[in-house]
Amino acid sequence: MDRVLSVRAESGQASVEAVAGIAVLVLGGLVCFQLLATGYSVTVADGAATAGAVALVRGDSVKAAVKEALPGWANSRVSVRRVGEKVEVSIRPPSPFTWLSERIELTSGASARSK
Amino acid sequence: MSGAGAKRILVTAIGGAKGAEAVGALAALGAIESDGAAVLIEVTAAKPRSATVVAAREAKALEASLAVVDRELRAKARGGMCSVSIGDGDECVERLEAVVASLPDGVPCAIVAPPVRYRRILESEEIRVSRVLIRADASEEEGDRALLELVRREAEDLVPDVDVVAEPPGWLASRRALGGSVGSGESGQATPLVLGALFVLVLGTVALLAIAGAITGKARAQTVADLSALSSARSMKEDLPRLLAPPTLPGGMPNPAHMGKFEYLARARRTAVRIAVANGASPLRVSVRFPDSLSFAPVRTRVSIRSRVEGAGSGKTITDWAEARVGVPVTMGAVPAIASGGGYSGPLVERQGHGMRPDVAAAFDRMVSAASAAGVALAINSGFRSDAEQAALFAANPNPTMVARPGQSLHRCGTELDIGPPAAYGWLAANATRFGFIQRYSWEAWHYGYTAGPEPCSAAGDSVGPGGDPKSSLGGSLPAFVPRRFRRAILASAMKWNVSATLLAAQLYAESNFDPNAGSPAGAQGIAQFMPSTAAAYGLTDPYDPDRAIDAQGHLMSDLLKRFGSPALALAAYNAGPGAVSPCDCVPDYPETQAYVAKILGLLGGVGAIAPMPMEVELVR
Repeated sequence: MDRVLSVRAESGQASVEAVAGIAVLVLGGLVCFQLLATGYSVTVADGAATAGAVALVRGDSVKAAVKEALPGWANSRVSVRRVGEKVEVSIRPPSPFTWLSERIELTSGASARSK
Repeated sequence: MSGAGAKRILVTAIGGAKGAEAVGALAALGAIESDGAAVLIEVTAAKPRSATVVAAREAKALEASLAVVDRELRAKARGGMCSVSIGDGDECVERLEAVVASLPDGVPCAIVAPPVRYRRILESEEIRVSRVLIRADASEEEGDRALLELVRREAEDLVPDVDVVAEPPGWLASRRALGGSVGSGESGQATPLVLGALFVLVLGTVALLAIAGAITGKARAQTVADLSALSSARSMKEDLPRLLAPPTLPGGMPNPAHMGKFEYLARARRTAVRIAVANGASPLRVSVRFPDSLSFAPVRTRVSIRSRVEGAGSGKTITDWAEARVGVPVTMGAVPAIASGGGYSGPLVERQGHGMRPDVAAAFDRMVSAASAAGVALAINSGFRSDAEQAALFAANPNPTMVARPGQSLHRCGTELDIGPPAAYGWLAANATRFGFIQRYSWEAWHYGYTAGPEPCSAAGDSVGPGGDPKSSLGGSLPAFVPRRFRRAILASAMKWNVSATLLAAQLYAESNFDPNAGSPAGAQGIAQFMPSTAAAYGLTDPYDPDRAIDAQGHLMSDLLKRFGSPALALAAYNAGPGAVSPCDCVPDYPETQAYVAKILGLLGGVGAIAPMPMEVELVR
C-alpha cells in the first residue's frame, strides 16, 4: 500500500488473543510439566535401581531397598524385576493426562554381582 | 442524515486484482474515530456475507436501521462492522445513494465497486467520496497499467485523496477485517506476551532438563564406580575363605579348595570390569586397583571410571572412583567365636545354641545320633559358661551346694554339658560313657563332662583341633601356613597365656607375614608389630627378637581378651589401641583395623579354627 491503512484499536481484541494465548500457555505448561515429571521419574528410577543393585551385592532384599529409595508417590507406580545380575525398576511418571500416564513407563537398570 | 466529514471510501480493483473487499473493510474500520461501527457496502451480485455470532452493538444498530431503509437490503452485522450487499444491477447506484444517505453522521463507509460502476459512484453528489483506493497488482500488464493510470487521474480530478494498493492484505488480516474485528496494523496485541511467556516456559524446562541431565550423567559415572567396587569386594568376600585355606592337605597334596592370591585378585578385577561394562561404561575407561595388594589377604578394591565431559570449545576428562572393602559387621564384636572369660580360651563350637570345645561337640554329635536311633531326644540346657555368666547364676541362687561359685564351675572349661530332658536321664546313665561322657556328680543327673580328651581347662584343651581330634592338639593344631621355626614359640606363648595358638599364628601372619625384621611406617616393629611404648609396657626390650615378641604378643592378647571378651574386639584393640574400641565396644570404623580384623577372622575360618565369619561388603569412599 502506498499509505498505511490503520484500523481502530479493537476493543476486546487483546482479550480474545489473551484468552486464546492462555489456553496455549496452559497447554504448553502441561507439556513442560510432563517433560519435567518424566525427567524426574528417570532420575528417581535410576536411584532406585542403584539402591536395588547395592542391596543385591550385599545380599539384602532388593525390593525393600528399591521401595525405600523411592519417594512416596512412586510406590504405587513402580515395578521391580531382577534379571540375573541386573535390577530393573520401571516407573509410570505422574501426568495430568490419565490416558498418557497409563501409557508411559520408564525403565532404569543397574547391575551388580549377586553371587 | 449523511453529514459533512463522514468518511466515504471508494474501493475498486483493476485488472482482476484480488482483495479489494478486505482493503475496503480495513479502511472503513481504520476510519472509526471513537466507539462506533463502520459500513462496508459491496456492489456485487455475489451472495451476501452472513452475520457473525459476536457483533458490536453499534454494528447491530446499523443493521437494523438499514433494514428499515430498504427491506431488500441484505445488511449483516459482522464484528465492529455492518456489511451490506446491494447487487450490481443498473439501479445499484441509486440504492447505494439511498443507503449512504441514511447512514448516521460520522459512520465511515467503504464502497467496494467494480470498475464499471466506479465512475458514476465517484461523481455522485449524494455519496461524495472522500477517498479512493485502487487495488491493482504491481506486476500487471501494460494495458492494465495504462488503465490504472487513467483511473487514478480521473479520481484525482475529483478526489484529492487517492491511493493505489499494490498488494492485498494477508490472509489472516483479510479474514479479520472482513469479520469486522481487527486490522493488519495492530494485530497480535497479546500475542507477543503469550509467545514470550511460552518461550520462557519452554526455555526453563529445557534448562532444567539439561541441568538435571548433566547432574545425572555425573552421578551415573559415580554410581558405576560404586557398583563395580562393591561387586569386586563381593567377589573377594566369596573367595576369601579359599584364599585363606591351606594350600596343601595334611598329606602334602595340593588343596583343591585353596585359591592363590593372583587368581583371587584377577577374579575381583574381572568382576569389577564386567559390572562396569554392564552398567554402561567402556572397558577401556575402567581401572581397578587393590590398595592392600601386598597383604597376604587383600580385602580392599578401588575402581576408577574415566569419562569425558564436552564443554564449550574443549572437552575435559574427569575420573570418578570408589573404594569398597570386605569388613566385619559392627555387631561382630559381641559374637564370641573363640571362648574367653573362663578357663577355656580355644575355638568354641555351638550345638543347640550352646558353646563347647570342638572335641566335645564331635562326641556329642555321635551320642545324639545313637540316642536318636534309640528313640531318645537329647537337649542341651547349658554348655560353656564364662566366669561372668557363672557369677550371674550364683547371684541368682547363692547356694554353693546347688550352684558353683564363679571360677569353680567346670562349665568354664567347655567340656561340661547339662543335658536333658529328664526322660533321657536313664539312657544317658547307661550309654554316655561309650562316647566319652561321665556323669560328674551323682546328685546332678543332667551334668555330663567329657573325659576322653585333654583335661578340662588345660592348655592342651585350648589347642584342640577343629575336628575334635585330641591327638591333633598342640603342635598338630597349628595351621600349615605357620613356619616351622616359630611353632614352638607360638605354642609356648599360647600355653603360658591361655590364648589360642591358632589365633596368635593368624595374627603374626597378618601383622608381619612371620618376618622378625618387619617394620611399618607408623613405627611398629618386629614379627608381632609392637609399637615401642606397648613393647616397653610388656617388658619387651627387643621387639625384633621373635621368641620374646611372640611371648609378649600372647600376654597382650590375653589381657585384651579378658578386657573385651571377644576375639574380634581384642584384635581391633591390638591394632587400633584399646582406647579406640572401648567407647563403642565395637570394631572401630578405621579401614585398616576393619581389614585387619576381617583378615584374621577370615584366616581362622579358612583353617577351620572357627566357624566361617559373617563378612559384609561396604563402600569406603
